[in-house]
Amino acid sequence: MKMSQPTTNRFRIAFTYLKQLCLLFLPLCLLVLASCQTVRPYERMYLNDADMALKLRQIEGYETNIHAYREGAAGANGGKAGGGCGCN
Amino acid sequence: MWLQLIQGRMSNLGHSNHSTNWRRWLRCLCVLGTLFAGKQSLYAQSSEEAVDIDFLFHYYEQDGNHSAVTGGIGTEELSDIASNIIVNIPLDSVRRFGIHTHVNHYSSASTDNIDSYISSASSVDNHFTLNLEYEKTFSDGHQSLGGNVGGGLESDYISTSFGASWWRENAESSRSLTVTAKAYLDTWIVIFPEELRAPGLVSVPTNKRRSFHVSASWAQVVNPRLQTALTLETVFQQGLLSTPFHRVYFGDLVELPTIERLPMMRWKIPLGIRAHYFANDWLVLRGSYRMYWDSFSIFGQTLSADIPIKFSPFFSVYPFYRFHFQTAARYFAPHGEHLETAEFYSSDYDLSGFVSHKFGLGLNYAPLNGIFSFRTSPQGATNTLRQLNMRGGYYLRSDGLRAWTVSLGFGIRR
Repeated sequence: MKMSQPTTNRFRIAFTYLKQLCLLFLPLCLLVLASCQTVRPYERMYLNDADMALKLRQIEGYETNIHAYREGAAGANGGKAGGGCGCN
Repeated sequence: MWLQLIQGRMSNLGHSNHSTNWRRWLRCLCVLGTLFAGKQSLYAQSSEEAVDIDFLFHYYEQDGNHSAVTGGIGTEELSDIASNIIVNIPLDSVRRFGIHTHVNHYSSASTDNIDSYISSASSVDNHFTLNLEYEKTFSDGHQSLGGNVGGGLESDYISTSFGASWWRENAESSRSLTVTAKAYLDTWIVIFPEELRAPGLVSVPTNKRRSFHVSASWAQVVNPRLQTALTLETVFQQGLLSTPFHRVYFGDLVELPTIERLPMMRWKIPLGIRAHYFANDWLVLRGSYRMYWDSFSIFGQTLSADIPIKFSPFFSVYPFYRFHFQTAARYFAPHGEHLETAEFYSSDYDLSGFVSHKFGLGLNYAPLNGIFSFRTSPQGATNTLRQLNMRGGYYLRSDGLRAWTVSLGFGIRR
C-alpha cells in the first residue's frame, strides 16, 4: 500500500524526533547509571527532604493544567496531557 | 504518637512556673533534636495513622488579543478562581483511599463572543471534577497498585475517567519504576458560533472524544544529594479534537467564517527528565526538561528550574523560572490567512509557534510538629495545621498573551 505524502512526512518528522531523543537522553541515562552510588538509610537525610521529592508540588498542579490549555505541548510532568476538559 | 507526645509537652508548658518551664523546654528540644535526625520515619509513621486534608485556592487572570473564538483576533481576557480539596484517608497500614475535588468558576470574554462580537469578560461558567482513588502497598513495602475513577462537568461537556497505576522500587529504595494508565471519555454539547447555527450550515462528525494516556517514570538516586527521574508518556486522542465554537476566517473573498476543523486523531509523545540536587544545607536546585512531539507537528521544548532557599529545615522560599518553545501546528494560520482548499484549519494561538516565559516566587512552611493544633469541639479529635504554601507567578507569551496567577495551600492532619 502506498502512503500519501503528508503521512510519509509525518513519519519522517517522528523518526527525526525519536533520533533526537535517543541522541540526547541515551548518553545522559548511561552517565547517570554509571555514576550511581549505594545510598544507605542513614545517608538519606537530604534525599528525604520535601524539596527533593521527584514530582511537582501539589500547589503547582493548577498551573500545570493552565499550561496544558495555553500551550500545544503537554505531559510528562505529572499534569494534564489532554482530555477531561473542554480543551485539547 | 510522637507528635501527640510533643504536643502534650508543649501544651503542658503553659501551666508551669519559670524554672520548670526551662527544664521542659530543654527536654522538648532534646526530643525535637532526636526527631529531626530521623524526621522521615516520624513522618511516615504519623501519616499512616492520620487523615490528611489539603486545601488549595488559586486565582488566574489573563489577557491577550488573539482569541480563537473570534478567529485569531479579539480579546482573550479571562479570570478564573479555583479551589481543590484533597483528602487522603489511610484505611490501614497498607491501604489508602483518596478523594480529590476541584471546582472553578471563570469569566471569559471569548466565550461571551460565541454569541456576540461585543468584547467583554462577561460570560461565566463553572467546572467541577471529582476523582476517587484507592492504593494498596504490598507486604514488602516496595510495591503498590492503585486505581482511580472520576468525572468532570462543565456547561458544554461531561467527562468520565478511570485509570490504574503500579509502582515498584528496589530493596535499597534507590531505583523505582511507576507505570500509569488513564482514559478520559468526554462528550460535548456542540455549540456553533451564532452566525453559523442555521441547519446544514456546518456540522461535526461526532460529539465524543476519547483520550488514552500511558506513562512510565523511572526514578534513580545517584548519590546522597542527587536524584533524577525520566518520564515517557504517550497520549492517543480520538474523536472531536476541534472546538466547534472557534471561528476560522479564510482569505478576503469569503466573508462568512467557518468553524475550526482538526483531524479526528492525535498522538502526543512527551519525554521529560527531572533532576534535584541538594547543593548545601540551605540551597536545593530543582530542574526539569521536556521534549514534546505530536501528530499535529507541534515540536516543543520546556525548561524549568526552581531554587528553594532554606531559611530553616522547615521553611523555604523558592524563585522559579520556566521557558517554553513550540513550533506551530501544521493546521494553524492567523486570521484571514487560511486557504479554502485546506482540509483542516485553526486560528487558535495555543497551537501557534511561540516562546513563553514564566517566573515567580513561592514559599513553603511545614514544621515537623505542625504550625498549630486545634479542636473543633472539646471532646473532638486534635487537628493540626501541618503546612502552608504560597506561590505567585507571571506568564508571558511571545504572541502578546499575559497572565498571572496566585495560589495558596494549606494542609490539615487529624
